[in-house]
Amino acid sequence: MKRDHNHLQPNPDPSSLRGAPSTGKAKVWDEESAQQDCGMDELLAVLGYKVKTSDMAEVARKLEQLEEVMCNVQDDGISHLASETVHYNPSDLSTWLESMLSELNPPSTFDPFGAAGTAAAALDDSFLVPAESSTLTTLDFDNINRKHQKSGQQIFEEASCSDYDLKAIPGKAIYSQKTQPQTHDSSSSSTPTNVKSEKRFKSTSGPPSPSDIFPPPPPPAAASYGIPTASTRPVVLVDSQENGIRLVHALMACAEAVQQNNLNLAEALVKQIGFLAISQAGAMRKVATYFAEALARRIYRFYPQNPLDHSFSDVLHMHFYETCPYLKFAHFTANQAILEAFEGKKRVHVIDFSMNQGMQWPALMQALALRVGGPPAFRLTGFGPPSHDNSDHLQEVGCKLAQFAKKIHVEFEYRGFVANSLADLDASMLDLRPSEVEAVAVNSVFELHKLLARPGAIDKVFSVVKQMKPELVTIVEQEANHNGPVFLDRFTESLHFYSTLFDSLEGSVSSQDKVMSEVYLGKQICNVVACEGVDRIEGHESLTQWRNRLSTAGFSPVHLGSNAFKQASMLLALFAGGDGYGVEENNGCLMLGWHNRPLIITSAWKLTNKTTAISQ
Amino acid sequence: MARRNEVKLNECKMAVSLSTWVLISNFKLAYNLLRRPDGTFNRHLAEFLDRKVPANANPVDGVFSFDVLIDRGTSLLSRIYRPATAEEPQPNIAELEKPVTAEVVPVIIFFHGGSFAHSSANSATYDTLCRRLVSLCKAVVVSVNYRRAPENRYPCAYDDGWTALKWVNSRPWLQSQKDSKVHIYLAGDSSGGNIAHHVALRAIESGIDVLGNILLNPMFGGQERTESEKRLDGKYCVTLRDRDWYWRAYLPEGEDRDHPACNPFGPNGRSLEGIKFPKSLVVVAGLDLIQDWQLAYVEGLKKAGQEVKLLYMEQATIGFFLLPNSNHFHTVTDEITKFVSSDCIKTIGERIMQCIGALLCVDYVCLFKCFLG
Repeated sequence: MKRDHNHLQPNPDPSSLRGAPSTGKAKVWDEESAQQDCGMDELLAVLGYKVKTSDMAEVARKLEQLEEVMCNVQDDGISHLASETVHYNPSDLSTWLESMLSELNPPSTFDPFGAAGTAAAALDDSFLVPAESSTLTTLDFDNINRKHQKSGQQIFEEASCSDYDLKAIPGKAIYSQKTQPQTHDSSSSSTPTNVKSEKRFKSTSGPPSPSDIFPPPPPPAAASYGIPTASTRPVVLVDSQENGIRLVHALMACAEAVQQNNLNLAEALVKQIGFLAISQAGAMRKVATYFAEALARRIYRFYPQNPLDHSFSDVLHMHFYETCPYLKFAHFTANQAILEAFEGKKRVHVIDFSMNQGMQWPALMQALALRVGGPPAFRLTGFGPPSHDNSDHLQEVGCKLAQFAKKIHVEFEYRGFVANSLADLDASMLDLRPSEVEAVAVNSVFELHKLLARPGAIDKVFSVVKQMKPELVTIVEQEANHNGPVFLDRFTESLHFYSTLFDSLEGSVSSQDKVMSEVYLGKQICNVVACEGVDRIEGHESLTQWRNRLSTAGFSPVHLGSNAFKQASMLLALFAGGDGYGVEENNGCLMLGWHNRPLIITSAWKLTNKTTAISQ
Repeated sequence: MARRNEVKLNECKMAVSLSTWVLISNFKLAYNLLRRPDGTFNRHLAEFLDRKVPANANPVDGVFSFDVLIDRGTSLLSRIYRPATAEEPQPNIAELEKPVTAEVVPVIIFFHGGSFAHSSANSATYDTLCRRLVSLCKAVVVSVNYRRAPENRYPCAYDDGWTALKWVNSRPWLQSQKDSKVHIYLAGDSSGGNIAHHVALRAIESGIDVLGNILLNPMFGGQERTESEKRLDGKYCVTLRDRDWYWRAYLPEGEDRDHPACNPFGPNGRSLEGIKFPKSLVVVAGLDLIQDWQLAYVEGLKKAGQEVKLLYMEQATIGFFLLPNSNHFHTVTDEITKFVSSDCIKTIGERIMQCIGALLCVDYVCLFKCFLG
């Protein structure tokens, strides 16, 4: 059998085993493994699976094992894998298979360190579906009273139906990531549960270090798979009208003229855009108008000076929250991760960099109130910019939340901090308590990118966050490249990004909500296009870039699982024009997109090296 | 019971490379989790597990892609793949729908597989396959994100295919320079192959010219249990039970597998005699349990006087074309390339004229050289 196509693949696969005598089979497979280097199998990487070439045979064995077990187990056993088990990061085949094997084959010997007990308990939990649920609701203030009338028991009963009542979506965290610190040199001797967590975060070669957990940039083949790289440009064309295309051309031409400092031409083009935009309908007209305005500001150097009146920006924010699912998705997914991280903790502290009206927190507090064993003591520290009318809006928000907490019987403590920038923050301000006493989660929704405008700011904030010793850091950011050095590139990227975003608003029912949301986004457009230097706070960056920053700063990923995914998907179904929205899982992060174009991403992180050891 | 399964697994492993085996087994495992005995499908888990990639307007290995919303009402998306040209290595993002420049550009409308229930146009597996098709055939590929069963039964997938065909046919920027027409091929694997056939059927009376059908392991079936089904049941990652499940999920409720969607040349099928049906390239894997139905399909086309080429890959399993690490893969890709490029020169006569033309040119140049001394 002649093999003449080796030139097509860098690592020729000796492959096809037909004709190989069965006795030699094992040998051939081992040889195959040995021949490859220790990198990822490139062929599978391109298809979305990260399997080390050297692990391939083992992965195959696990698949066989699972096949066998699944044949022997009753149908129920398999269905529980599908409906109850929480799955994580399916790209990491080896770990995923291992987790299912553990679900189906709990360790039979009793481990003196009690770990087997933990694993068994994890498995038992899975059968006690309703009672063990932690409930996460999608509340906002208006719905508080309505929800509150339901008893906890009722909500659990609803949870057991396959058609969930979407007002009370049960969440399930069987597969809790055990938060006791593990000595990183334990490997195969540790329990299945610990091994699961560890394998998720470290490569299997050598002792862990930040570079292990975050390997150097992947080879091109792997990079071209799904992980949005800095040079990936997802585009969805939702509007192929002739006029729409001409409008885009005019906008691009104008931006190019601006880039080349040909301001006369730019001015002429801006006016032309105005004419073209009028004849356009729908989202494209509005987007074009905002971009044209931003270009005009840049041309005439009429930069937006005064920051928005805070109460107005609050109003805009709330309308945006109502109109489309982006903020709700952000809150929902971040809360799910926080809920899982806080499992078993008696006192918890959330530090929120994106307080606004505190809309994220009632749902989390509700879920904590309903959890098994009762709620923890809940402390919330919120940050926000100063308001201009001397009102202490952060305090008002705190009061509302305190009232809510009282109603649902959660011990509540609150502190608000006003700051112009998160970089002004210092850990000493926070009255942090020892981590054995109080678990900390840091939350940031669409705030971190604002720090990129000022050199050193993001690094300062990361180091302060580390001093908080958080169990978890949840970050939600736009999936976009609006921070590059070249103006024209930024313009092009943001034009497509906001076009997609505006298109998703078109389906909204309330036109007032829609208009307000457009104004809200319009402010961002203006900032991306017209501002420079420290004023350009809407310097969005892509997930890949954030991953690099965070890993360099000493954080490693915590994966969001299939339960969060499912609930987020169900949440989206609530929105008008919902068909276009989609959730995708990517290396443990959850992305929300419109017609397959990723727009925002929720990711969760923990400290790579926990410097304090919790005494056993 | 365990022993029998062991034997089956080993046989499968013998037939393919390790990574292919891992890939296909992984799909099989995931798919087993998703099908419920009551006929419903765990869509959320399916979407979570499916590895997807975004479109990328930046060329990778000479191919760039972008998504287009073809029909807002059904949220029908398609992903367009185009070759980057030497003149424009980095396409202008405002000009993704720039007219194709070559004399003849094949446009392949591709329907991904997944037995009508799984996968999407943006699944990594199919994104990769489509990119390969672009490079091989110097074609534009349009991958249709059709609606899936069991949420959307027959004829939704065919409707979406038809919508896509009409859309492609009406794009001025996809017209070949030679005749200002769009040179359309339909292609698909598994359920996608089935869809390609039925969309071609629908195109017959419409006046839209489909130049060829490429069917990779097309999904057909029937009420009868054929020899290959009995022999190969469960042996190479596919079982009769799961095949039945998918047909029950796609076909209208109450219909059996002799429904023409499933069995186009069966008792309820339509005769294609005398009909202008596109030429077909049908690839059948010798270890696929439904091969008897696929071979019957080929026979059906032949009997109706239609042009069809059968590629029977004796030792191939399903999914062999997903990874480029077997001889089968390369045989098939070579055939596809030939199939798609052959419409550039339609007849022997044309070929001869071309040669003569070339000869004449050479003669003139020679003469000139002599004359100029």
